[in-house]
Amino acid sequence: MSTIIASTMKRFEEIPHTADWSFRAFGKDLRELFANAAYALFELEGARARPTAHETARDIHITALDYEALLVNWLTELLWLQEVHREMYPRCDISTLTPTELRARAFGVPFQHLDKIIKAVTYHNLVIQQTTEGWQAVIVVDV
Amino acid sequence: MVTKQDFERISDCVYQVPQKFRGDMRVPARLYASNELLEDALQDDSVKQLVNTATLPGVVQYALAMPDIHQGYGFPIGGVAATRAPDGVISPGGVGYDINCGVRLLASHLHKDEIASHLRDLTNALYKNCPSGVGSEGSVPLTAKQLEEVLERGSEWALKNGYARREDLDRTEEFGCMPGAAASAVSARARERGREQLGTLGAGNHFLEIDHVAEVYDARTAEAFGLFPGQIVVQIHCGSRGLGHQVCTDYVNEFQRAVRHYKIELPDRELACAPFDSPEGQAYFKAMAAAANFAFANRQILAYHVRRSFEEVLAGKVKNFDLFQIYDVAHNIAKIEEHEVEGRRVKLCVHRKGATRAFGPGAAGLPADLRTIGQPVLIPGSMGTASYVLVGTARAMAETFGSTCHGAGRVFSRAKSKKSVRGEVLRQELEARGIVVRAGSMSGLAEEAPQAYKDVSRVVDVVHRAGISRKVVRLEPLAVIKG
Repeated sequence: MSTIIASTMKRFEEIPHTADWSFRAFGKDLRELFANAAYALFELEGARARPTAHETARDIHITALDYEALLVNWLTELLWLQEVHREMYPRCDISTLTPTELRARAFGVPFQHLDKIIKAVTYHNLVIQQTTEGWQAVIVVDV
Repeated sequence: MVTKQDFERISDCVYQVPQKFRGDMRVPARLYASNELLEDALQDDSVKQLVNTATLPGVVQYALAMPDIHQGYGFPIGGVAATRAPDGVISPGGVGYDINCGVRLLASHLHKDEIASHLRDLTNALYKNCPSGVGSEGSVPLTAKQLEEVLERGSEWALKNGYARREDLDRTEEFGCMPGAAASAVSARARERGREQLGTLGAGNHFLEIDHVAEVYDARTAEAFGLFPGQIVVQIHCGSRGLGHQVCTDYVNEFQRAVRHYKIELPDRELACAPFDSPEGQAYFKAMAAAANFAFANRQILAYHVRRSFEEVLAGKVKNFDLFQIYDVAHNIAKIEEHEVEGRRVKLCVHRKGATRAFGPGAAGLPADLRTIGQPVLIPGSMGTASYVLVGTARAMAETFGSTCHGAGRVFSRAKSKKSVRGEVLRQELEARGIVVRAGSMSGLAEEAPQAYKDVSRVVDVVHRAGISRKVVRLEPLAVIKG
């Protein structure tokens, strides 16, 4: 089942953070939130795909203690795949999302350029919150 | 929220939030700062993080922060916390993601006037020979077996393979090899990240710098260290690269379960920890030590390339192009050390996150020729500004678990720095001041603009006034090499 991104909703915004980098991701539901958080990672890195690149599907299965840990582990997994395969993953299909498990297919595209590499995803100030428009999460990353 | 009124003034540069400030604090939270730096610290969450650190199980005496304090995750950057070994906790957040990020200082026999006409060639040679930048690949690709040796032997591996001199190891913290390291505690993922990154500078705030000794404050100690006025020196600032980051990520994740298992209540998930003597705590310590060894070997390989670069450019043009090592310090690490607490020698796990060991005269672990002098402490400034060499003191041993500051400390976010500073303009300003710049990324350069950092001189003045380390020389840059 594809994750549909609502065209009128902002996907993420950057937040000033003294030592590293921070962003707030949005979604109409939790699946969209997780997908938009992944999208934000590669946008913040300034990742640019190779012009004629085609996608490679990568299947991902994550378990964790709760949604916050699941989000950290999901983004960490994408960063690991980025390093190993030299790909970016702005698009994904999340088929299973519970407080302790995520299954997804991430579509990798080789990148030709990164402005910076995000080295780690932290738990700092991490809260996943429901809002009137849907869901949001603030994530701080180490660069 | 902590305000200035919550602090008690202990002495000229020492402020303290008392333990009674918050119900979960086990000890007070103590900050080394001037009045101005205290006001700066209250602008972000760093003081709250310092107070949070005072809640760690087994924490002794006080949680500390140095005057370069700024917001990190879990611990503030500039944080020092000692927990009772073996049953107090160890926390990856108290070390940081870049395990053994640190500084190495090499020194020449040359005065700056002797290399003035070769400066640009030297800078270009360093940029060419020392891999840097986003995604850079190592100059020493390793097999899996070789990587295991690096993780367990650190600089000793580099010595065995022709990248080091024995004197380099003598003049490195822990003599370049942390005891207790185990490659088996480092995940396959972390090892995969490290295998092709040995001998790389990285990006961000990592750099190489050619400096000169601009001012000598303590001539006797400078001479003992091997420093003289106008001398050309080289700083190397980097850490354990992707391997260290992965180790921290792995264990912060692992410790989310440990915290529940050991029923540890924490105000911040980035403070996730486990008792030092638990299987989880021991595994992290062994992995952290292994990552620290990787970083020592990394800076050793870069030092080898720096020496090669000097030879390449200066052979036949100067009498002596050789470089010897002043010292190499870690500023993100956890160590098992003995310190005096309430009149008794106690074994502690000392976490230094953005803080530097500053052992005084007579301390164990110093090289023989510096035992009566104290440990060199290397404090890099922000780009284009001064750096300092200090010496550790007996007062540091008595008051800060032998610790001091590590650098300037950020005040601007990277986003704000990029908006207010253009990298190319900054490069031209530095060149106009006679500082040669080779950088892989103008946007990366903008993020590291000196305006984004506190004034390192103000930070160093605090630790000097407080007596926890003493100024020896000030260095000023002639060339900056960055990824």
